Amino acid sequence: MNTHSHPTDDRLSAWLDGELPPAQADEVEAWLADHPEEAARVRLWAADRDALRARLGPMAAEPVPEALIEAVWRAAPSRTAWWRWAAALAVFALGGVVGAGAVWRLQADRLAVAATKPAGWVQRAAVAHAVYVPEQRHPVEVSVAGPSAEENHAQEEHLARWLTRRLGFAVKLFDLRGQGFELVGGRLLPDAAGPSAQLMYQAKQAGADGAPPARVTVYLRKPEGGTDFAFRYERQGDLGLFYCVEDGVGYALAGSLPREQLLAMAESIYHQQPGAK
Amino acid sequence: MSAIPRLRRYAHSLVMDSSSADDLVQTTLERALSHWHQFDQRRDMVVWMLSIAHNAHRDTQRRNMRLIIIDPQALQTEQDLQRSDPGADVGLRMDLLAALQRLTPEQREPLLLVSVEDLSYAECAEVLQIPIGTVMSRISRARAALRVLLDGKPVATVHALHRVV
Repeated sequence: MNTHSHPTDDRLSAWLDGELPPAQADEVEAWLADHPEEAARVRLWAADRDALRARLGPMAAEPVPEALIEAVWRAAPSRTAWWRWAAALAVFALGGVVGAGAVWRLQADRLAVAATKPAGWVQRAAVAHAVYVPEQRHPVEVSVAGPSAEENHAQEEHLARWLTRRLGFAVKLFDLRGQGFELVGGRLLPDAAGPSAQLMYQAKQAGADGAPPARVTVYLRKPEGGTDFAFRYERQGDLGLFYCVEDGVGYALAGSLPREQLLAMAESIYHQQPGAK
Repeated sequence: MSAIPRLRRYAHSLVMDSSSADDLVQTTLERALSHWHQFDQRRDMVVWMLSIAHNAHRDTQRRNMRLIIIDPQALQTEQDLQRSDPGADVGLRMDLLAALQRLTPEQREPLLLVSVEDLSYAECAEVLQIPIGTVMSRISRARAALRVLLDGKPVATVHALHRVV
């Protein structure tokens, strides 16, 4: 390449954006050093670019209008309404990026109103968690632990069928082994609107200092008629709760774990849903 | 969904009218959510969302093509109303944004994506579904056009621009 030829505007502009390979960038730089008028022209481009950034950049830090978020949440075609959970999960999964927090807060604020109904059963989920998690001898009504893998499997099938029959919707036993938690079993519980179920999972590894292995529970129930979609994270003391109401079923994942760890589980549960892609 | 603030920024810089911009964001999010399963996790979510926004915007423009005649004066007034926060450099802002709106969409979009959204030429090409070479030439033409528009303004503008540097 002839280093003394006039670089095209395309080239100068690409140089400004740092899009030229180093060798070519050096050439352009050297050329600009010899051509102050052209360099001044490029500096004006840079000034325009910076002005655009300065003027438009801060917009991304503005809070997202609540109406917008609300509209998106409501505008769901509910064929597999699980995507909404997926979307909500994404809010958490990508948390930490500017704005996600704002989105979350707005969403939480909105749901704080909308979710007054679910709050009742979520409270029961939290109570059921608190009651049965410390239980050493009878943590579950139906245990899936058997002397062999085959019996394990048979017990799991039994538990799923039993809960499905009693709750009136398809109960799937989520596999959280990827998160280091094994299914202990489940139990049937009374709830205001009818029976609910609790699935209990236990960490494969014991806790630090010989503490018993951590446990998490998934509470399942049919929501009251007309309960809208809701997805929330709530913390009560050291207990974290992710809960979701979907037109068929309400789920609450409870555990005394860091939010990120619970989130990974909530995500895994979502992916195991029959309706999930 | 953390892409929303950036998506909004791009939509607003593209459309300027606040409510249409948020309409665009909403359309984009709805499309994104209903095609959620098509999102390749290895891709950058923002780039993916921006490309959906680009398509949505183009669709809207096509639909409105025969309906809207943009009156620059009305646009200016509109912007004056919307962005009348005191304390900011009104002269610079109006001129710059007004000039930006007078670029063709083909020039404005890549310029914004690269300058404000910090996309690489390759990402920009992906969003706009055009070759990288085209991105490069459109940006350089956009810069030249913007300069012509801004140079037509009082000197104050140029000073203001320098101050920003």
